Amino acid sequence: MNRSDCIDAGTEYCPCYLAEVGECIMCSQLQGKVFCDCTNWKGVCILQEYVWNHARSKPSRGLFRGQILGAEEVAADVLLLTLQVNRTLARELNQPGAYVFLRPPGTAEYFDIPTSVMRADERLETIVLALQQRGVKTKYLFKQRTEKADQEILLRGPYWNGILGLRHLKGLHHAKALLLLRGIGQAPAVPVAKKLRQGGNEVEVLLDPGRIKNFTTALFQEMGCRVLPKIILDLKKLTLRADVLAYLREKILTDGVKLIYCGGPVFLTQGVSNLLQELRSQVALVCSNNTKLCCGEGVCGSCQTRLKNGTRVKSCKTQIDPWEVYR
Amino acid sequence: MSSGVLFTEMPDMERRLGRVVKVVIIGGGWAGCAAAITARKAGAEVTVLEKTDLLLGLGNVGGIMRNNGRYTAAEELKALGAEDLIEITDRVARHKNVHFPGHRHASLYDVTKVEPMVRKKLKELGVNIRLETRAVDVEKEGSALKRIVLADEKVIEGDVFIEATGSTGPMGNCLRYGNGCCMCILRCPSYGPRISISQRAGVEDLLGQRGDELYGAFSGSCKLAKHSLGSEIVEQLDKEGVVVVPVPVEDVNLKKLDYKVCQQYALKEYAENLVLLDTGYVKLMTSYYPLEKLRRIPGFEHARYDDPYSGGKGNSIRYLSMAPRNNALKVLGLDNLFCAGEKAGLFVGHTEAMSTGSLAGHNSVRHCLGMPLLELPRMTAIGDLIAYANEMINRPDGLKNRYTFSGGKYFTHMQEKDLYTTDVEAIQERINRVGLGRIFAEKFL
Repeated sequence: MNRSDCIDAGTEYCPCYLAEVGECIMCSQLQGKVFCDCTNWKGVCILQEYVWNHARSKPSRGLFRGQILGAEEVAADVLLLTLQVNRTLARELNQPGAYVFLRPPGTAEYFDIPTSVMRADERLETIVLALQQRGVKTKYLFKQRTEKADQEILLRGPYWNGILGLRHLKGLHHAKALLLLRGIGQAPAVPVAKKLRQGGNEVEVLLDPGRIKNFTTALFQEMGCRVLPKIILDLKKLTLRADVLAYLREKILTDGVKLIYCGGPVFLTQGVSNLLQELRSQVALVCSNNTKLCCGEGVCGSCQTRLKNGTRVKSCKTQIDPWEVYR
Repeated sequence: MSSGVLFTEMPDMERRLGRVVKVVIIGGGWAGCAAAITARKAGAEVTVLEKTDLLLGLGNVGGIMRNNGRYTAAEELKALGAEDLIEITDRVARHKNVHFPGHRHASLYDVTKVEPMVRKKLKELGVNIRLETRAVDVEKEGSALKRIVLADEKVIEGDVFIEATGSTGPMGNCLRYGNGCCMCILRCPSYGPRISISQRAGVEDLLGQRGDELYGAFSGSCKLAKHSLGSEIVEQLDKEGVVVVPVPVEDVNLKKLDYKVCQQYALKEYAENLVLLDTGYVKLMTSYYPLEKLRRIPGFEHARYDDPYSGGKGNSIRYLSMAPRNNALKVLGLDNLFCAGEKAGLFVGHTEAMSTGSLAGHNSVRHCLGMPLLELPRMTAIGDLIAYANEMINRPDGLKNRYTFSGGKYFTHMQEKDLYTTDVEAIQERINRVGLGRIFAEKFL
């Protein structure tokens, strides 16, 4: 059975365009079938919302102008942006997996950069994002900042599906969790650690600077996490280093870790998944959503992911269990 | 298989000794509860999965027993050894031997008292009741069900399964085929929607119709808060159980009768009058009635609905989810799934649910022990109804009818076949004559 959830189901953005064309992720009737088969109930009847909305989708996310309060170069090619938004947006982005699309003013929509939210402060109405210069879009943004020093940036959101396996994350209480982070993957892990700590969990962070440096150590420590700087990946073999695997083995088998979060490249998550399968472990696997996000609305198709059971999902908004991808 | 003759063939002792049969019942309405009782009496370990916090489902807002042919069926159930639920509804009857248009000798149980009593009965019998537990899928091996998957992804294993999930709702169906969610006792928004287990197991549902290519039907009554009605009406209801009030001529809507589930109440009298029954609530025998119009009628100036809460607008939609089955109530195409209640056909009413439930529960244990399944002979009203409904489903207009002991086509058929009687001794004699006296109380394990 497909137990995939739409992260937007029941929110003010639901039903969306997908409902209008019979492609709703959740509702059998909005997939063109004529009877309910509501295996993924989230407390709201999407068909009801759709009909009450005159058989149209709800208004989509708007474009905000975020004022840049601070732009700190925390490492070479890494910018920590603090943006003034409004209270509602800050509140809606204050959760693990939250992301926005950023775009320099005056550029076209295809310059939209999907960016995870590292911190959000409802009271100050601010968000903090970490941006690494990698491809065309980020390079252009860095270039324009140097040349024009814009005080504003365009922002589209809120989006929430930046992390896969959210229910494991939200369901863990008073247990032990391990975070494996590399490079820019450390930014979206900050709200992950926060959530885990709020659940009374012990959190240990293995922090690999990757091509940048560790700029979140203090943040994790403030939250009461144990931070261990460590090179996690063997980039030649595209796998986890042997000493890290041995460390994980011990953590899983003797230390009783109940959840592992992977914030790094795909082969990091795959490596951890392989180990969990080898050990026949019940430890929950949670990871960053590494698919290419372009529209965030399930429309453009760039995020399409094939699950191990053969079905294809729009991973920009389909909340899937990492097991369904990394097996 | 000929009806009811093979029940005496018992499995050999060796196979039965030390055997544990696990029966899992999905849905804790009247049918599910009845199935739990007979399966338990036959010696099985029984678990009932119910999505809400109450057993009985729509039985919490129903209340009509023993009207017309249901009297016969209730007595047959007692003679067959499935007397428990009938005894409860008799015990909490607010009114007995009530007559109202088209119906004689009805008994109206108090819907506010009945559920705790049934719950207590099931517990005493050792049934494992799992409330707020919603089944969403199955795990199969070949054509046998192995496990039921719950909404929280836990699984429940069983040797045999009985689906008694009914056919009402959920919200999307009530919207597409009715007037939207009207907030009925099933409370889908709170406890999640019904899932068709047989369909999940790969057996396509059969759908009831209310016209050509028009699917489903509205539940047939709504309930008003008693204290919201005028004192004269309340006094008469308390005394007699029934009040009939003429509908203002300009508001008579005969078309509404076509929409109804309960064809036994789809009579002209029910369009031209408000027929009220005292079941603890005031049962208003119409699918829905706009509150504004209702309040124009003397005595109803302050009326308000208790079920469905939006009874002024619509009612729940039913009959969109029946499983194909044989007359022993085993679902066709699967090895070990039985069905009961509305899941087993276009049946209306508590007595019908108890009848099919009792048979399904009993047969589930027979199935596990390799015994021949019991079909009730057509000399009994219950056996005849079960077989009749199955015959009709295959006829062109069969999906547009409902089958109940209390009226419509089947009650006519029942009278023609001389099955209808209120002579209790004759009914006992009838059951004994086919050798089935107290068969549902028989212990196999």
